[in-house]
Amino acid sequence: MSDAQKSIRKKERSTRLAIWMAARSSRNRTFLDRMCRKMIVKATAVDPAKDFMRDEFVDNDQGFDPDELDRYQRGEKVIASQ
Amino acid sequence: MPAPVPFDPQEIVDAKYEERPTREGVTTKRLICAACDIACSVVGEVQKGRVTKVRSSDNPIFKDNICMKGIVAPKGLAHPNRILHPLKRVGERGSGKFEQVTWEEAMSDIGSRLKKVIAEHGPEAWAVATSQWNTSTDHGLGRRVMNHVGSPNWISGVALCAGNTAAVNRFTYGWFPFGDFSNTNCIVLMGHNPRRHSWTPLYNSIRSAQARGAKLIVMDPRRSSSAERADIWLPLKAGSDAAMMFGWLKVIIDEELYDKEFVDNWTLGFEELKERVNEYPLDRVAELTGCDPEMIAEAARVYATSGPSIIPWTPITDMQRNSTSGIRLQTILRSICGYVDVPGGELLQGFNPDIVNESTIEMHHVLSDEQKMKQLGSKDHPAFTYRGQLAFREPTKRVYGQEYANLVTGCHMATPSETFRAMAGEGEYPVKAFFFLGNNPLMSYANMPLIHKAMMNQDLIVSHEQFMTPSAQLADYILPADSWLERPWIHDMFGWMSTIRFSEKAMDPPGECKSTFEFWKQVAGALDMPEVVPWDTIEDFYDYRVAATGKSFADLISDTEVYFKKPAFKTYEKTGFATPSGKVELKSSLLEELGFDPLPYFREDPPHDENFPLKMFTGVREDPFFQTGHRHIPEMRARCPEPQIYLNEKTAKAAGVSEGDWVTVENQLGSIKALLAIKDAMPDDLVRVPHGWWKPEMEQGNGSLSGAWDYSDAQLCRDDPDYLDLEQGIPHLKGIPCRVVPFRSDASVEADVKAQHMEPAE
Repeated sequence: MSDAQKSIRKKERSTRLAIWMAARSSRNRTFLDRMCRKMIVKATAVDPAKDFMRDEFVDNDQGFDPDELDRYQRGEKVIASQ
Repeated sequence: MPAPVPFDPQEIVDAKYEERPTREGVTTKRLICAACDIACSVVGEVQKGRVTKVRSSDNPIFKDNICMKGIVAPKGLAHPNRILHPLKRVGERGSGKFEQVTWEEAMSDIGSRLKKVIAEHGPEAWAVATSQWNTSTDHGLGRRVMNHVGSPNWISGVALCAGNTAAVNRFTYGWFPFGDFSNTNCIVLMGHNPRRHSWTPLYNSIRSAQARGAKLIVMDPRRSSSAERADIWLPLKAGSDAAMMFGWLKVIIDEELYDKEFVDNWTLGFEELKERVNEYPLDRVAELTGCDPEMIAEAARVYATSGPSIIPWTPITDMQRNSTSGIRLQTILRSICGYVDVPGGELLQGFNPDIVNESTIEMHHVLSDEQKMKQLGSKDHPAFTYRGQLAFREPTKRVYGQEYANLVTGCHMATPSETFRAMAGEGEYPVKAFFFLGNNPLMSYANMPLIHKAMMNQDLIVSHEQFMTPSAQLADYILPADSWLERPWIHDMFGWMSTIRFSEKAMDPPGECKSTFEFWKQVAGALDMPEVVPWDTIEDFYDYRVAATGKSFADLISDTEVYFKKPAFKTYEKTGFATPSGKVELKSSLLEELGFDPLPYFREDPPHDENFPLKMFTGVREDPFFQTGHRHIPEMRARCPEPQIYLNEKTAKAAGVSEGDWVTVENQLGSIKALLAIKDAMPDDLVRVPHGWWKPEMEQGNGSLSGAWDYSDAQLCRDDPDYLDLEQGIPHLKGIPCRVVPFRSDASVEADVKAQHMEPAE
């Protein structure tokens, strides 16, 4: 087996492991699930400061008031996000 | 396009993880956003029976996949102008006058009138336009009903965005691969520009890949934000992508940078390809693309030697005169460099065997071959029609276990332009009934004047919509559509990937809004074929789809929001590829059988018209909007209040216009008005035209169509033969001749402009 083939095989194995962990992480119920989730959080973390297209609309993590949404839907008042 | 699942297994160490705290009175639902077509997994927070907040997912594999359109959805979908009840036209078509009716009244009349059209003109006289991206719960039921009725005339925006790419990819290796962003070493963006608020998961995936050292190559006439952070930026001429790829192949073949073992064992037609590539020496490619030959060569070397590399799907090559060749050249680059179906390369995932896929639900086998051959566009532009795709039945069965694979819903479509000609009475047979769902067809395809004429010539138009779009204003019936907050969803990545995701229902739909599932169920009932959609509820339907998992839909969705197929690679080593030869067909046997050049080629621009000295491109997305939507939402309009074209300073000066001016963009087909923004990132003589502009606050009905006649770029998009891809019949939107002049506001000029709209130049 050539070095290139060995490298591909290694990537195949690690990808299979990654998908298995992603499935466990998504379930997030057992101790093992949560461990997988923690490891994936670490593995996929990218420093927010390196997000060169940051936007306060996302960063502010805002929502709306349910009563104001009701009034807005009835055409009674224009609302802004809270 | 669906979101990739980002994950890098190489960096799993020492995690720190914190769950978000729960808040009193707030319940959370796991949702898939349908504000655009990328389908991000997000979370909806619910208070008092309403979704009050949409935020990014708690699941780390989906984190940060959120944009402004998703965040503002609770307000956008609560807009007071949302259509909440069925409406029936009461004035002349296009008068903008409607009255409220019940679903029962509407469906009874729709059924009667559709049956009359079918009786008089045949089932092929019924056409449907939808995308299935934002209607979501269609799941192929529309095609299923149409196939039972006998109509092949289904059209979609995916004809020029991803669906056609899927169909053309099959000619080379039988499936449509998805790039493995998580493990790749090099990403090539061909004009595509994923950003924080557009194609957000791709933006995040590219950012992650670059952070771990992957190379980024960008081809784009503009200095886009992606170009600015690229390792190599090739500022090619708009529409010259295919020529550029010939240059890459020339370098890769001449310098023997390709995967010889793969080429020898798994491809057909390499020698013929080599001869064709030799017609494109670098100096010729440099002339065609406007790029430095050494930069072209360097980019080709990086792609071929730092792999596995990916060329992710791009809408840019979907919308060109050389679309089929451009897409085929991408497939050829992937193949000869040995990047097909390997980790970090281009994955051929196949269907998820545990979920009934949408291609199966569509039941294409019940539509007779005779009706299939009537599909509009089949004769002249068959690539993605039944005629072009039927030969894949046997190989697809051999490799993927079933005959029909309607990947990205794009593999058995009618050609939009041919369909509109038939609707306008200019086609091979009449089309007299037209349904559109979550689609604004008047503004979503080329040649808006033709589409308007086509719609005005219909006996029955039915729209399933959330808002009174310009297209809906021409309908006989507008039936109120639900949204992604208001019903569950299974997302099977349109067959593109094998990962399945689930979305919960977070709130009740307002008024009498119903899902696309319910729409088609009622249409089947109105056509006296209720057995075609036999499930009582969408949950019953989903239980049927997931039965092979051994769980109900409710159990699955309570367990997880994502369901993976066990990954496999190089499966072709066991099954061969899903092509007639079982090999990668660099020279396509099927294109040859259809009467086309079996090898890629490059059609140069028609002769220059000095009256239209500039080139425009359209089809670009603006962050606050998806296609023609979202312009009713104050927060989104505040970000982009008016349609803007972009020119650089030099081009603007030559045209006699300045920053902030209202200008007219015009060509042989029509004209639009827009504000001018000067951007130094634009090259000389190129005009960026925004896609899908109308203003919901403007007058409804035929006079203005809420501003569509003023602003819609579809009025500039030509579909005459010089501007169509030969094999697919899709329009060239990346380099249309035009001119920019100062906008003159006097009434006589406006009247002239309106007259042009009604009488297209051919």
